[in-house]
Amino acid sequence: MFERRLYFHLDWALLVAILLLCGLGVAMIYSTTYDITREVAGPQVKTQLYALVLGLVALAICLSIDYRVLADHSLLLYASLALALVYVLFFGDVRGGSRRWIGLGGFNLQPSEFARIGVAIVLAAFFAENRRGARTMGDLALSGALAVVPLVLIAREPDLGTAATLVPVWFGIAFLAGLRLRLVATLVLVGALAAPIAWTYALEDYQRSRLSTFLDPQEDARGAGYQQIQARITVGSGGLTGKGFMQGTQGQYKFLPVAHNDFIFSVLAEELGFMGVLVALGLYLFVIVRSFEAARLAKDRLGAYLVVGLVSGFAFQVIYNITMSAGLAPVKGLTLPLMSYGGSSLIATLAGFGLILNVRMRRFTN
Amino acid sequence: MVPVVSDDRRTHGTRLAVMQYTAAGLIALLAVGFWILQVPQHERYDEMAENNHLRSVPLRAPRGVLFDRTGKVLVENRYSFNISIVREQSHDVDASITLLARITGVDAAAMRDEVRRRRKEPSFRPIVLIEDATLAQVAAVAARRLELPGVIVQQVPTRRYPSNELAAHLFGYVGEVTEGQLGRPEFHDLQAGAVVGQSGVEEAFNGLLMGTDGTRFVKVNSLGREIDEVRKQDAVEGRRLELTIDYDLQRAAEEAFHASGYAGAAVFMDPRDGEVLALVSLPAYDPNAFAVGIDRASWNALNTDKLNPLQDRAIQGRYSPGSTFKIAMAVAALEEGVVTPDFKVNCRGGAVFYGRYFKCWLAGGHGAVDMRRAIEESCNTYFYTLGSMLSIDQIHKWAVRLGLGEKTGISLPHENEGLVPSSEWKLKTTGEKWYPGETISVAIGQGQVAVTPISMAVMMSTVANGGTLYRPRLLKAVDNGHGWEPVPPEPPRLVTHLKPETVQALHDGLWMVVNGRGTGGRARIPGEDVAGKTGTAQVISIQGRARAGQTDKDLRDHGWFVFFAPRDHPEIAGVVFAEHAEHGYLAAPIAKYVMETYFAKRDGRPLPHFQAPGATVVAAAGDEDVIRH
Repeated sequence: MFERRLYFHLDWALLVAILLLCGLGVAMIYSTTYDITREVAGPQVKTQLYALVLGLVALAICLSIDYRVLADHSLLLYASLALALVYVLFFGDVRGGSRRWIGLGGFNLQPSEFARIGVAIVLAAFFAENRRGARTMGDLALSGALAVVPLVLIAREPDLGTAATLVPVWFGIAFLAGLRLRLVATLVLVGALAAPIAWTYALEDYQRSRLSTFLDPQEDARGAGYQQIQARITVGSGGLTGKGFMQGTQGQYKFLPVAHNDFIFSVLAEELGFMGVLVALGLYLFVIVRSFEAARLAKDRLGAYLVVGLVSGFAFQVIYNITMSAGLAPVKGLTLPLMSYGGSSLIATLAGFGLILNVRMRRFTN
Repeated sequence: MVPVVSDDRRTHGTRLAVMQYTAAGLIALLAVGFWILQVPQHERYDEMAENNHLRSVPLRAPRGVLFDRTGKVLVENRYSFNISIVREQSHDVDASITLLARITGVDAAAMRDEVRRRRKEPSFRPIVLIEDATLAQVAAVAARRLELPGVIVQQVPTRRYPSNELAAHLFGYVGEVTEGQLGRPEFHDLQAGAVVGQSGVEEAFNGLLMGTDGTRFVKVNSLGREIDEVRKQDAVEGRRLELTIDYDLQRAAEEAFHASGYAGAAVFMDPRDGEVLALVSLPAYDPNAFAVGIDRASWNALNTDKLNPLQDRAIQGRYSPGSTFKIAMAVAALEEGVVTPDFKVNCRGGAVFYGRYFKCWLAGGHGAVDMRRAIEESCNTYFYTLGSMLSIDQIHKWAVRLGLGEKTGISLPHENEGLVPSSEWKLKTTGEKWYPGETISVAIGQGQVAVTPISMAVMMSTVANGGTLYRPRLLKAVDNGHGWEPVPPEPPRLVTHLKPETVQALHDGLWMVVNGRGTGGRARIPGEDVAGKTGTAQVISIQGRARAGQTDKDLRDHGWFVFFAPRDHPEIAGVVFAEHAEHGYLAAPIAKYVMETYFAKRDGRPLPHFQAPGATVVAAAGDEDVIRH
């Protein structure tokens, strides 16, 4: 399956950029979880390194199987994903009030993190097989339904943040597949009209409080607004050149909660300053643009759709998380792909990039 | 595989570009956002971050140590533990107090009251909940650190009075600065909770003793747990002070009081420079109880105690001087020139003045007595006669020159002044003029005359040194940080050159009181020529006593003994005031013991032991020198 000459078409630049971001992530995790009193690195560093190795294995696997083969079995993959999500809803491990994890002996798997891949494959296959593209309401509705099933399942865990990342996956693919702009405008309008209704009926109290807090963080400085204020302080206090690696005070002294997770970019901004921010943003920009390049170069629509679906979800999550880490967006439990602590997220993200590399690598094969 | 159609191809490329540029545009916007936060607004957020994790922790400066004139430590400091709460770091102050009360056994309501009382202070400032915590309490809190966020254990220097109640009124006590005190200029830079002297030397020299509090700047984490020390400004200990007090004399005086079973007061001075060697007021209290914040019950007990242990009798008590006032009378008469020491009066047990008969205490009379003999035997008739020859204003003038009737100016707070009447005083207070008949009672220290023990000590000192009126001094030297610097002597308040024959007559008469037939025999020290005079201060007149009938108040008279020694070159002078001792001569052994201790120390002999005088020791002369009207 894996031909030797494919090796030469592998996008090494993208892979290096991805690995640099992962390395940056591990460094920041090391910094934020370092135990000052016992002077040892936190256990999270080791976990993340294991996940990185596993993720690279997953990347290699996703790379070696021709994406067209995967697309042929897209419905099977989709069905197993849905099954896993249903299983989690009923039998998953509960942590922090959410039922998200499947215990697998030594480590815990978070199926929702893999949903993006499953949805991207099934939607790519769906639109690729459909000559008309995404032009009729029927196609849109059907593709939308494919995305909504896992979305609802994940949202029920509840994990609204991860569920939300499926929307850009669908939108990216549908947009590329020729979604009419008039329809886009209509969708935006409907969304705007539906917002108050969603506010009243669809959102949980904690979600409402997070949103209202975003609009006025000082109103609840000790509660929900706390994280947002602290995020801004963390970023702002970093300055141009930062406080130095492991010299941050906001992350080191835990003024910013889950610094190694959702707010890892804030700590990066604090310790490495605006310079570090530019480097990290540059790497992310490179990864995103380079991935879109893969879509452009893709041999077929399937490849292009698959890449765009994956990169849209990735880009959305990156941009949202970084905005939030500067206290400029409502706080939402959304990790920063490649950098945040979290095994499932890292493995799934790397697997996704395996597919992107896969598409680009096979642009000349038949 | 379906081939991509050309129309599709175009749209496809455009839409990919749209997505690419959108992503790039958003990331560029993010870069701008970070730039705004991190560069133009950096300082503002940097300050907020500093406020987050930097705390200043006050370091209480130890107060200056007090030494006696021989270098013995009188008052020092120890370290004690305070358990405090920092509200800012406590998630639930109420729950923390409940838990704290449970594990330490301290009343939760009292702790809540304290927090309520301090609620207006900034929430980062620790509020002390348990002062001088036991090691068990500290251990209990340390073991539950995680359950008690914001509860901290502070080590603070605390005043320690090693001799407990000894010289309690002299040393005074310390306490937290009060709301009212914070408004005063000398306390303007203090914060609530600061400890200042509230009485005695602690209050009088508070400015020197306080030192400068230091500050520790520490890093704390989000739970307020200390991570690291950034900077430390050490506390500067207060000035060390050497007092004029001699510990051995102080101890001897109090020991003798306790052994004799009297409350009262005593002051011992050096008549050559006004230095106070010992200052006693009994009953006393334990200033250690105040050092750690006295509890309400103990405070109330001290305040309502009938014996009034909080009063410094030595400088605040006002008593009738009785026969000891005859010394001032003698000085007034001799210095005004109305008599010479050889002036004689024939005492027949009393005499008539202004149409009224005044009794001498010796029913049979003393016969013909001169000044010396009159002092020795405390002859009332002689002094009535002097009183009839002097105006009240002449008496007032000389009594004041000796130190009576005014504050002595000792550098202790809340001194009271005695009263020596004058015609002006009477006119002012009653609107009436002074009748010469009233002077007769004053002549033997009765009537309105009132004195404080300290003023009596000053009078004896002035008589001993021939007329130089010193302000009693307490401070001998100050350690300014580079070594001891003696406090320069200050000029006397007043120098009156008493006539040599006045001084000689007084010294002789007072010497005879102790060494002749007088009432001061119990103060006699062979070879040291003690001079002195007893007196009895009426608590209530005979009529008053009859009127009072059965009361639980102690109505027994007070006993005075005033003295100096040696007669010709006095080194020590003073007063012993024994409450309800009934007779002045019963106060004399206390003075004797202190003087013996003084001379033994001066000569390098072993210090004596106090022997309570047995019943076999009898006064040389009549033991009643008080007249009741």
